Amino acid sequence: MDTNNQQPPPSAAGIPPPPPGTTISAAGGGASYHHLLQQQQQQLQLFWTYQRQEIEQVNDFKNHQLPLARIKKIMKADEDVRMISAEAPILFAKACELFILELTIRSWLHAEENKRRTLQKNDIAAAITRTDIFDFLVDIVPRDEIKDEAAVLGGGMVVAPTASGVPYYYPPMGQPAGPGGMMIGRPAMDPNGVYVQPPSQAWQSVWQTSTGTGDDVSYGSGGSSGQGNLDGQG
Amino acid sequence: MGDSDRDSGGGQNGNNQNGQSSLSPREQDRFLPIANVSRIMKKALPANAKISKDAKETMQECVSEFISFVTGEASDKCQKEKRKTINGDDLLWAMTTLGFEDYVEPLKVYLQRFREIEGERTGLGRPQTGGEVGEHQRDAVGDGGGFYGGGGGMQYHQHHQFLHQQNHMYGATGGGSDSGGGAASGRTRT
Repeated sequence: MDTNNQQPPPSAAGIPPPPPGTTISAAGGGASYHHLLQQQQQQLQLFWTYQRQEIEQVNDFKNHQLPLARIKKIMKADEDVRMISAEAPILFAKACELFILELTIRSWLHAEENKRRTLQKNDIAAAITRTDIFDFLVDIVPRDEIKDEAAVLGGGMVVAPTASGVPYYYPPMGQPAGPGGMMIGRPAMDPNGVYVQPPSQAWQSVWQTSTGTGDDVSYGSGGSSGQGNLDGQG
Repeated sequence: MGDSDRDSGGGQNGNNQNGQSSLSPREQDRFLPIANVSRIMKKALPANAKISKDAKETMQECVSEFISFVTGEASDKCQKEKRKTINGDDLLWAMTTLGFEDYVEPLKVYLQRFREIEGERTGLGRPQTGGEVGEHQRDAVGDGGGFYGGGGGMQYHQHHQFLHQQNHMYGATGGGSDSGGGAASGRTRT
């Protein structure tokens, strides 16, 4: 998990957010959902800041967390892919590490909501349904996993799916001050009349539930570390 | 945060520690090794957290899907531009197009550093990495805001791993915000 050693809290113009004083495990017991969500936002901020710092110090491209030959094989599974430069699998090795870390952080929130210490498949399913950029993964988790999530939502849990650092959120929103019933990201989708998910009816019910009960939830800036100061205003 | 990426992990052979996987040998080729994936997952969790087997296997599938998703988008771009080789910049462009802007900034730094070191090594002879992959072209488009200027919208019309339509294009405004945010962050850290 993230630690704050040797790492100043992320800050930008405005009030710098205080560094999180508690560990996730300490908060796991009785923390409210909103508190957990704020904690996740902070954790994701620290995550992206830390990644930048760590990458700037990379000197060895031979030792990878993930095997390059396997990455190349997965890339080549697409028949349209013909030639791959040497740098592509190396870049993917780091990209996949970031992907695994982010999806795991978001999945852990769901485990904590259910007061569990073991990350399970349905936690990953929950993170996928709640995060726009992971929408392409919906087919990977079976519907019953998503239905479990829908059931949880139906039980009164307020959920606001947050996207991760999507830049077009910022200009029209400025600094949203919790507009009633509005969830960040929805306005950007509605005008185009898109964002349908035929293969997953359960997911639609999740969205409907969220829309109906989302009055109190408005988290600006998603997970973008570039504008970390906005997270504290959620 | 845990260790850097220097942890001894999967070597470039890519066949280590397959014994832990319950998948068939051929199926294993479709996924990254479960031990490597699990190790990275643990870095994102509290020390006393555990990970179920089905969560590890689900993450394996998700990562392979991520690779295919981004590769497909990059491949489409190369075909349109009548280039045969997918390079790092194509992957970064694809990630931006597919909504992974957060990933692109650290990865650009990573790619730049790799190319710097690669340049040094090229002078000494052919690097092992290049030989392994068997292709060593660099069609770099160049650095800068080009990735952001092209828009960072998301497409959610379908769940196929290859998107062939891009009906969402967000222009310089969004890109400007993102760049500004990055710059602000950089200045703050100085």
